[in-house]
Amino acid sequence: MTDPIDLAKRATLMGRARGTSLRWFYRIRPSWRESFAAYLYLLPALVILGAFVFYPFFSAFRLSMIKWNLLPPRPFVGFDNFRYIFHDKYFWRALWHTVYYVGITVPITMTLAVLIASLLNKGLRFLSFARTSFFLSYISPLVAITMVWRWMFNARFGLFNYFLSLIDKIPFIHVNAVQWLNDPKYALPAVIILSVWHYVGYQAIILLAGMQNIERQYYDAAKVDGASGFQIWRKVTLPLLTPQLFFVFIISLIGSFKIFTEINVLFSGTSGPLRSAETLVYYILRIGGRIGNQTPHLGRAAAASVILFGIIFAFTVFQLTVTQRRVHYQ
Amino acid sequence: MLRRLILVGLVVAFSFGVVGMTQEPVTIQLWHGMSRALGEAIDKLVADFMAEYPYITVESTYQGGYGDLHSKLDAAVVAGNTPTIAQVYTDWISPVKSILYPIGPQLTAEERADIVEGLLPANTFDGVLTTVPFNKSIMILYYNEDLVDTPPATWAEYEQMAKDLTADLDGDGVIDRYGTAFRPSNPEQFLIFLEQAGGSILNEDWTEVTINSAAGLEAMNFINGLVPYSFITNEYMSDHITEAAMFLDTSAGYTYNVGAATNAGFELGVARAPAGPVNGKSMVQGTNLVIYDTDNQTQAQKDAAILLVKFLLRPENTVYWAIHTGYQPVTKSGYQSQEWIDFVASHPYQVAMSEQMLDSFESMPHPSYGDIRSVIMTGWEEVLRGAETPEAALNYMAEEIEPLLQQ
Repeated sequence: MTDPIDLAKRATLMGRARGTSLRWFYRIRPSWRESFAAYLYLLPALVILGAFVFYPFFSAFRLSMIKWNLLPPRPFVGFDNFRYIFHDKYFWRALWHTVYYVGITVPITMTLAVLIASLLNKGLRFLSFARTSFFLSYISPLVAITMVWRWMFNARFGLFNYFLSLIDKIPFIHVNAVQWLNDPKYALPAVIILSVWHYVGYQAIILLAGMQNIERQYYDAAKVDGASGFQIWRKVTLPLLTPQLFFVFIISLIGSFKIFTEINVLFSGTSGPLRSAETLVYYILRIGGRIGNQTPHLGRAAAASVILFGIIFAFTVFQLTVTQRRVHYQ
Repeated sequence: MLRRLILVGLVVAFSFGVVGMTQEPVTIQLWHGMSRALGEAIDKLVADFMAEYPYITVESTYQGGYGDLHSKLDAAVVAGNTPTIAQVYTDWISPVKSILYPIGPQLTAEERADIVEGLLPANTFDGVLTTVPFNKSIMILYYNEDLVDTPPATWAEYEQMAKDLTADLDGDGVIDRYGTAFRPSNPEQFLIFLEQAGGSILNEDWTEVTINSAAGLEAMNFINGLVPYSFITNEYMSDHITEAAMFLDTSAGYTYNVGAATNAGFELGVARAPAGPVNGKSMVQGTNLVIYDTDNQTQAQKDAAILLVKFLLRPENTVYWAIHTGYQPVTKSGYQSQEWIDFVASHPYQVAMSEQMLDSFESMPHPSYGDIRSVIMTGWEEVLRGAETPEAALNYMAEEIEPLLQQ
């Protein structure tokens, strides 16, 4: 790797050779000179990020204030779009579904991931095989696995209802077949089951890596003090795992707020019976005209995404300020 | 004298020939959403067209399914970078009619009169035929031939048969086979009953919402009565072919539905939609062709696109398209051509489809139709799922559609 200063010197030399001088460059304060070179290196990435991330991000705020039509005029309407959304019962339902989904999926997935990681950390015989198989669910293409799950949820021929029918055979227990994808009550739970399965492996692998990084001396010290296995797990493993737990928590929280693909595929391009599995992102894309061939209302969609941004932002700030204090670094 | 005449004649002929040969080459873009066999049929027609007009190059591109095609066209409209000609649903272009190049005035009177009448209103904006029908299908009744001898011809027969065919075959208290089926994401099913009851979404001049009129209520009540005997799913019926004895679906789904039925071991019949109290019309589905009149399109490109449209409307081509795709011809001359008559004779299910196509209606070209349709879809699903009464759902629709008329 060439040092930026070196590069600048060389440029000067080359400039001298051609009879010009880059002396002005050396009159700039050295610290600025360094940042200038650094920004030069960052420029390609910044251009791409600027065009595809920052510009759309800021233009969403602008869009949320205009009545967007396919053809101009696109008049400024103040908070009309927000007013429309706050009066739309489907927005409130979508918000509730999102909170419900996040509130259940994140804790369950993380709890299971901690358990799986702890078991794997025990030193399984075929550790790499087990690791791979848990990770497989995460690396498989989401659309493909969701289509498989659609069949597993099939009310008549699906695997889930087959298991339920087996349970039904146990004396004194009676369970009915569930219309997983066709009953508003079960649509969101079906998505939750699928998501937990999909993300648990990924989280478990990250947590496992974290566990394996914990230095032996802590465990040895705990053993010398006569701590039981559970005590060691509770008082040594978990506290020293908090950086990874924190990371997994933020990632899965933000990821869960953005759930969309699973729903769209599971319910054949709809958000479930009576939109019972419609989340905020689905709502945004629906009124923005990206789903179901709807007329695009980009102003309203932008307003809804500004609200979603506000929610995720608030959560992240909360996590950074409150949760961070409980994270222990080794 | 004679020699001079011949000479002049030769010069004239030669110069015309030169003009013909030096016709400026022109390239047009055709965006479509037809994959597999349908895409191949388009490619073949386009190739024939280019052979006939060597100076025109048609860049025909598959843009993905209808959803993708719609988004890409919207993006192209906003960017001012449209294709010359594209496949579109009426509600995709009704909000942007000011940038469309009306096709009707460029057709001859015979060509205009040749288009099937039921297909004209959805393509006519402010009295001008602007787009032309292309891949058109029709909603018809599919039925399991093992269970249904004579398909129902009226609402009353339909309801009675749906009731009789609903059965709990193994006696476990769960219905194993429904008489019929409905698809919540397909509000066109409701619009058929609405039309057949003599109702409409809006009044004639689009100033008033009429969906919650007596006719609307009659249609919705009829469906509501069928709900206990109906399998409700958003998935295609070809994935649930054994669940219901009869169902309304588009003729474009014929191969999928019949394939599924064959796998399940029964024959699938096709009939006209059961007729309601006022008429027996059914709803046309599918897209039309539009030519854009945006700044990036030259007159030569628009002219070339008009030639392509005229080419596709010719009887032999609309029939080729219909035979190879499962859609219906869009011109009367297509229906009268010997090739189509022979095809129908050897494919009996086509009789019901053709008859129904000639007794049909289509969605209205209202600028807010996309939004109106999604309101209807919401209310229609609420009735199908038993979440609302027919009255409440219709009133909800009327309330939501009302403000869309002001825009």
